[in-house]
Amino acid sequence: MMKHGITRKLLFTGMMLAALVPLGLSAAEPEDVIKYRKNVMKAIGGHTSAAAAIVQGKVDYKAHLAEHARALQVLTKDIPALFPKDSDFGDTEAKDAVWTKRADFEKAAKNARTKVEAFAKAVQGGNQQAMAASFKDMGEGCKGCHKDFRKEEK
Amino acid sequence: MKNLAMHKSVAVWLFISVAPVLSAADDALPQGEYLFHAAGCATCHTQEDNKGSPLAGGRALKTAFGIFYSSNITPDPDTGLGRWSEADFQRALREGISPEGKHYYPAFPYTSYTQLTDADLRALRKYLLSRQPVRQANRPHELPWYLRARPLLSFWKMLYFRPGVFQPLADKPPAWNRGAYLVKAVAHCGECHTPRHFFGGFKEAQYLAGNPHGVDDTKIPNITPDRKTGIGKWSASDIADYLETGMTPDGDFAGDLMADVIDNSTSVLIREDRRAIAAYLKSLPAVESLARSPKK
Repeated sequence: MMKHGITRKLLFTGMMLAALVPLGLSAAEPEDVIKYRKNVMKAIGGHTSAAAAIVQGKVDYKAHLAEHARALQVLTKDIPALFPKDSDFGDTEAKDAVWTKRADFEKAAKNARTKVEAFAKAVQGGNQQAMAASFKDMGEGCKGCHKDFRKEEK
Repeated sequence: MKNLAMHKSVAVWLFISVAPVLSAADDALPQGEYLFHAAGCATCHTQEDNKGSPLAGGRALKTAFGIFYSSNITPDPDTGLGRWSEADFQRALREGISPEGKHYYPAFPYTSYTQLTDADLRALRKYLLSRQPVRQANRPHELPWYLRARPLLSFWKMLYFRPGVFQPLADKPPAWNRGAYLVKAVAHCGECHTPRHFFGGFKEAQYLAGNPHGVDDTKIPNITPDRKTGIGKWSASDIADYLETGMTPDGDFAGDLMADVIDNSTSVLIREDRRAIAAYLKSLPAVESLARSPKK
């Protein structure tokens, strides 16, 4: 009875460990994290420049603007999550300050995020001037974070 | 006399109602303030990262030659420029020589400021003297032993320093000359964007073609119109927009030192000046560089 109980316990522990192994593996390679966040950033840039062309009246795709704004909302939801610990070396332009001054970094990311929301709201509102102003302000948010947390090293 | 006073009030009115138009401003203070921003003095002379007092210096500039600390340019009489005469100021910016007769290291970009006009130098000094004085002694540079002897700089200057005021080209339009003056003399773009050879002189044939070993361990991009390694695919309005907002044509945003340059300097310029810079940059010979471009 006793022996059986221990076996069961061991079996249970083994199963738990086995369940943890895939989790352990899913702690992604830093290189892949860096590639992933670069691609997310590129996507953000793509929507930003596309939105800029519409806001500035260079192209006539006004109907698409809400989609770009929504994409930006989704993509910037949690920027700090793209910068986990141990993703600070390799082919990255992130400055060490992303990790050493984490609170400042999260504040800057949140600031950018708030401005993305404001832009999306202005797009909903449809006022041309408000859109242009909030778009410019959103850019300030992007630049504000890049200024302190990204190396110009391309 | 009355005429002059009226002229002046018109200029002041123009300044308030339109914008600080550099050449149109008759009053030296707005002109000096505009130049101060255009030249980006605050970027290096304020230790922003450590919440330093404006213009009191102490910002570290990490270069291939050592760490330079910017100086106090507030009007404090003992640690700043308070006691400098007009001639002292002119000599410092035009010749790179301190009031005590010492050579400055070219981390202070007198190699560019030498091209500023007399009127601009006067206006700039007047503006600096109107700032808040801060008592803060200059921090000595951290240089390898073989670079510590300042007299060496006289040889360096003999080889690489071309003093003299900017000369506009008669066969170019005014906007081009304005752009050239802003890029070369005022905003001193080449100090970072032109690569240097072993002794710190500029590789003139690669003017503005990027510096793979730039300040603060960064790679400074090629801003000549080369399509592959420079900004040849940027339109003139792309360049002007970038200097205003920091956004590249593909939606990326400037960071690091260039974000400071945009915030403190190029975004403050009047639109015509940003366009003039863009027109001048577009007119340059395209140079293919090893330092990769900021964007495709």
